[in-house]
Amino acid sequence: MSNKVILELNDVTKNYKKTNIIRKMNLQVKEGEFLVMLGPSGCGKSTTLRMIAGLEAPSTGEILIDGRNSEKISSFERNIAMVFQDYALYPNMTVYQNLEYSLKVHKVKKEERQKRLEAILETLNLTAYRDRLPGQLSGGQKQRVALGRGMVKQSKIFLLDEPLSNIDVQLREKARDEIQALHEKNHQTIVYVTHDQLEAMALGDRIAIINDGIIQMIDTPDNIYNHPTNLFVAQFIGTPKINTLEVTYDQGKLLFNEEVVLSNTERLRKLALASNRLCLGIRPEHVIVKKERTDLLDLPAQVETVVDYGRYQQLTLNIKGNQSIKAIITNSVFVSGDKVYFSFVAEKILLFDYENKKNLEN
Amino acid sequence: MKGERADMNKLKESGWHFLLIVICLVLLLPVLFMISNSFKTLQDSYHSMLQLIPTHPTFSNYLTLDKQINLFRIVWNTFFMATIVTLGKIITGLLAAYAFKYFSFKGKKFFYFAFISTIFVPFTVVMIPNFLVIFKLNLLNTALGVALPQLCDATGIMLFLKAMDKIPNSLIESVRIDDIPSYKILKDIVVPILRPNIISIGAIFFINSWNEYVWPTLILKDKNSFTLPLALQNYISSEGGTNFPLAMALSTIMIIVPLLIYLIFQRYILNSISSSGLK
Repeated sequence: MSNKVILELNDVTKNYKKTNIIRKMNLQVKEGEFLVMLGPSGCGKSTTLRMIAGLEAPSTGEILIDGRNSEKISSFERNIAMVFQDYALYPNMTVYQNLEYSLKVHKVKKEERQKRLEAILETLNLTAYRDRLPGQLSGGQKQRVALGRGMVKQSKIFLLDEPLSNIDVQLREKARDEIQALHEKNHQTIVYVTHDQLEAMALGDRIAIINDGIIQMIDTPDNIYNHPTNLFVAQFIGTPKINTLEVTYDQGKLLFNEEVVLSNTERLRKLALASNRLCLGIRPEHVIVKKERTDLLDLPAQVETVVDYGRYQQLTLNIKGNQSIKAIITNSVFVSGDKVYFSFVAEKILLFDYENKKNLEN
Repeated sequence: MKGERADMNKLKESGWHFLLIVICLVLLLPVLFMISNSFKTLQDSYHSMLQLIPTHPTFSNYLTLDKQINLFRIVWNTFFMATIVTLGKIITGLLAAYAFKYFSFKGKKFFYFAFISTIFVPFTVVMIPNFLVIFKLNLLNTALGVALPQLCDATGIMLFLKAMDKIPNSLIESVRIDDIPSYKILKDIVVPILRPNIISIGAIFFINSWNEYVWPTLILKDKNSFTLPLALQNYISSEGGTNFPLAMALSTIMIIVPLLIYLIFQRYILNSISSSGLK
């Protein structure tokens, strides 16, 4: 990845009639970067992608491609390739013709065309299917043809709109690996839209979490998971969802239902909390469950359900105040109905402002 | 129990088949009478019109027709006119539908509404203005005079537009991102995808035009420029009375071309009629 910014969105908004789809979007993508846009349906991620592709114009703001305003250059100069969710293969052309079409129209020499196509067919394992029509291909094969059609242009920016959502779950992981391998080989700049967090975490150099037409956070997968900027990001990423508890801060201690869950740490002192109501977030895998009370911070709970996923078990704990939290542990010996004690891994506790839900430590 | 049920189903099925056979016969009978009468003498036809197998089968009606009129010329006229009209309607309809579907321009909705509303204008209303225009253009007695006012048809626009709905938007968007010129999108993507629709809609246009009577009657006065329906009219209640076997022979000739078209393209036509609800 170079440091050159190839794609830039400056204060981009998009309105349809009176609805704001994109409220204000600022984004910089570096050359060779794999950026994933992740968000719930209707958050505006696809609209953003379509604006970058030039299929829709922003209502205000500007999109710069290689430093030039994208609205003022033709789609040829924009030099973008896009893979659509439904692949958009030309049903009347064979695999080879599908890949060749745009090159042919733009008068790329025949030898050059053949060279590029052979290479792509080879990479995508499509050589055997070159003369088939899209209707005779499986979902995974169609998706590979669509990828190939994007690659063949050798464009600067490659946009992918939920390319894996129409593939069987079993094939999805394989296709994901293929995309990753292609990126590692070609170092093309990729903007990838998905609503699948696993895909986002696996693929992205950086992930932009979008909600309500605003980028909530844009960072590496690790930072997004471990240091979310706000409660939305924390809740959106991770399955099962992060546990959130309403806690109060009092004289160096965090209290949940008048019981101490964290006390006198360096972290708490640094925060110099003003308000005393807070939102505590703890991921299920950072909840410790044990049979006996061995620490002052251990709180009582009752096991409500146990779901065994083989590799790990997911417990739902009934805790004081008629609330429940989820815990993920391995080698669980607990069954539902057990009386247990739980505590949190102190350094993994996330604290959010009660009012604006922002991470207090970011 | 199971056997009884199967028997019931079989009974039901044969009941339906019987009904369908009756309907087919009802629809087919006039055609059969037409063909059988075309091989009867005038006398036979007069005395036993409803007899399916002619008592004295004869080919003379066809020979008489060939002597009386320039049969080849008339078939050619009809074919030529129907072809021009069909091509015209397909080309203008496709282009207009493409514009309405994929381009945004000022007054798009208004123009679309205006075009579509012409479907509801009865032919008799525009008949005279059209006639005057053709007259002023000096196109009376020509195939072009018949074809010209029919080169564009809002029904075609509507049908093609509906057919284009089945092309996913992403397909067109994908081509646009690749900077493919619009005419190439139409030529390389839209037309090939719509080929079955174009064939079936075209076949319906062709047959309609082939059968057309009122408008050609106004334009074509010279016997050499006649089309088949006009020539046929000459044998019905004209001077000298109706020569029924001759008229039936001409009708039989007239049915051949549409029948061929139907046989060649039946796959597409049936498909289109059932999917568009159009007759």
